[in-house]
Amino acid sequence: MEIPFVVNARKDTGLNNSKVGIWLFLASEVTLFGGLFSGYLFLRIYADYPWPERTLPILPGLLNTFILIGSSVTVVFAWAALKMRQWRKFQVYMSITLICALLFMVLKGFEYDAKFNHQAVRILDDGPVNDFAIIEGHTHYAKLDHGEIHHADKNDEGAFKQNRIAIKASELTFALTRPVHDSYVTDLIEQAGGEDKFKLAASYAVKDPESGDEVVILEEGAPLNTDNLDLAEEGFIGGKSHDAKIRTAFLKSDWDTVRESGNQDAGWKVVVTDEWKEIQRESAEKMKGHLIGAAGSVTYTIDPPLLFHFDPDAVVNHSDEQLRLRDDTTIRGVFDVEGSSLPMAVDGIDLRFTAQRAVEEGIDPAVMIAGSWILEDPDVKKVWDAHQEWLRAHIEYLDKKSKDKGREGEDAYVPTESERYRVNWDQMVSYQRAGYTDIYQKAKNGELKKPNWIEGFTGPNHNNVEFLKAFPEIVVPRDKIGFESSFTPKWNTYYAIYFTITGLHGLHVIGGMIVLGYYLFFGRKMYESNPEWLANRVEIGGLFWHFVDLVWIFLFPILYLM
Amino acid sequence: MADTPEAIQKAKKLYAFIGLLLFFFTGITVAVATIESLDFGGHGFGAADAIIGLVIASFKACLVMIIFMHLNNEKPMVYFLFALGLVMAFFCVWLIGWSKSDPIQYGNSTKADGFYNPEKPASDVHSKTEAKY
Repeated sequence: MEIPFVVNARKDTGLNNSKVGIWLFLASEVTLFGGLFSGYLFLRIYADYPWPERTLPILPGLLNTFILIGSSVTVVFAWAALKMRQWRKFQVYMSITLICALLFMVLKGFEYDAKFNHQAVRILDDGPVNDFAIIEGHTHYAKLDHGEIHHADKNDEGAFKQNRIAIKASELTFALTRPVHDSYVTDLIEQAGGEDKFKLAASYAVKDPESGDEVVILEEGAPLNTDNLDLAEEGFIGGKSHDAKIRTAFLKSDWDTVRESGNQDAGWKVVVTDEWKEIQRESAEKMKGHLIGAAGSVTYTIDPPLLFHFDPDAVVNHSDEQLRLRDDTTIRGVFDVEGSSLPMAVDGIDLRFTAQRAVEEGIDPAVMIAGSWILEDPDVKKVWDAHQEWLRAHIEYLDKKSKDKGREGEDAYVPTESERYRVNWDQMVSYQRAGYTDIYQKAKNGELKKPNWIEGFTGPNHNNVEFLKAFPEIVVPRDKIGFESSFTPKWNTYYAIYFTITGLHGLHVIGGMIVLGYYLFFGRKMYESNPEWLANRVEIGGLFWHFVDLVWIFLFPILYLM
Repeated sequence: MADTPEAIQKAKKLYAFIGLLLFFFTGITVAVATIESLDFGGHGFGAADAIIGLVIASFKACLVMIIFMHLNNEKPMVYFLFALGLVMAFFCVWLIGWSKSDPIQYGNSTKADGFYNPEKPASDVHSKTEAKY
């Protein structure tokens, strides 16, 4: 079948159908990205926390901008080559375009990987207001050991347990009202080394509704497994369902009774009358013999007590004696304080939130920061003190600059909030390189040496011995952790919108690669039979590719530079 | 849009030139954002820097659209579709803006001034965070 108007223009639109189609598609794309950009705009304007401005390493973003611009030129060259019937040149230009697209995705991959493996913790402290200091860094994987880097395998059990909540458990109770325990049960059995390490504390029995006799569903001492829990849950749900029917029947009967005793026109308000309350009391007495009243939980004992580790996301709350999982399972025992703490190589100290909270509560930020829990660590304090020295020199520099330019009052140059209250990883390295001494003087003389853009290609590099020496190792007790996350959408709305927009853009790059790759690898036959049709197709694919470039032209300054 | 081999050959030079121009303005954007002597407005990132960055980005986007996407020589239908996309994008901005006109949180200020006005909020949610310190 011949497809009409793929080469020649229609009279009514003046365009071939492919072009109308791609422009309609691009119009919808403008809307889509317009919505996302406006989402970013409003999230930023109304953010109630310090916005992570200029937080991404610039070099990968800059290289990707050059790469996409270059590919925009080569794709239009590829189209021109087809129009001039130069197949070989078309192949060369289109191949370069695809290589550029691939490079773009590789760089994006490096950038994403750096974010996924970089963690942050918001500290919660019992100060005059909650502390809210933020420390960034790596929770494990690379550590300095006698001057050499020790790499822990991400799957290594030792490294794995470093960000886990631990408890030496002697007893655990499953709530049968939440029949979704399977993954936790499997994990518990695996950690304990067998289901027979758990013994049911007391038989689980449910009354038979017909005979009134107790039917034992699980015998005392039964091991823990999902089949046994399913049996208990089945018994509980059966009993609950039976009791619901009994209660409904009694309620219906009570309602009839109250209406027949002269309250025919009474509405719901009758339930507050003494008469109704009396009827209810009588019904409750009568019901007792009919209800099954199945227990809503089963308890297992663990003897001897065993140490269990849980993903922090799985734990709802904990105390010295117990913790509760998301499925309402309660684990009792002795909370392992040391095993539940979080070791971290700190490559960023952010006290902007602390300062903001202090202002909100009418406290001097400097006082609040001085009492911050993280500054109790001598290594962190050393970095912070060095930063204060740098800040002193920086303020003097800005004052001089203001005088030179005749700026006074509100127009005078002042340090940004980030400069005041945040120490970046590259600043930490510069202080370490300066030996933490005479920072004020060295800053004035311009002698502080930060890592260059290549050294910090995707941010703090924990595989560099020199850098690791600059990153204080601290251990954060679990009760000091208000919130912890990698730099993923979970961390804050900036990263949520960053991953949404750049992820969607990355998908467009992949889509464009597939379409343009198809023309390159399977276009020869069409070129020989109808070269103009192929040229039109490449023009359409090229329009999409230019749009992908267009989106990045805005994304780069907005996400990386602002 | 170039159609003859001669015109296309000529257009290729323009494409290369525009590519170089885009590289150049990308460099300018980064320089303005990172080199202190080129910092506009107050010290650090501010409204002036945002405006400059977005103006340069818009100029670069115009070059891509006009030259690479051939909007300098298209049929009216294309302009119509493109304008439709822009209108819809601005509609999205307007629509999301309504989320900040929530009368429960910010008072019923929508009738008076459209969007939520941080200068006179019903609750004090944002003015706290905007406080100078």
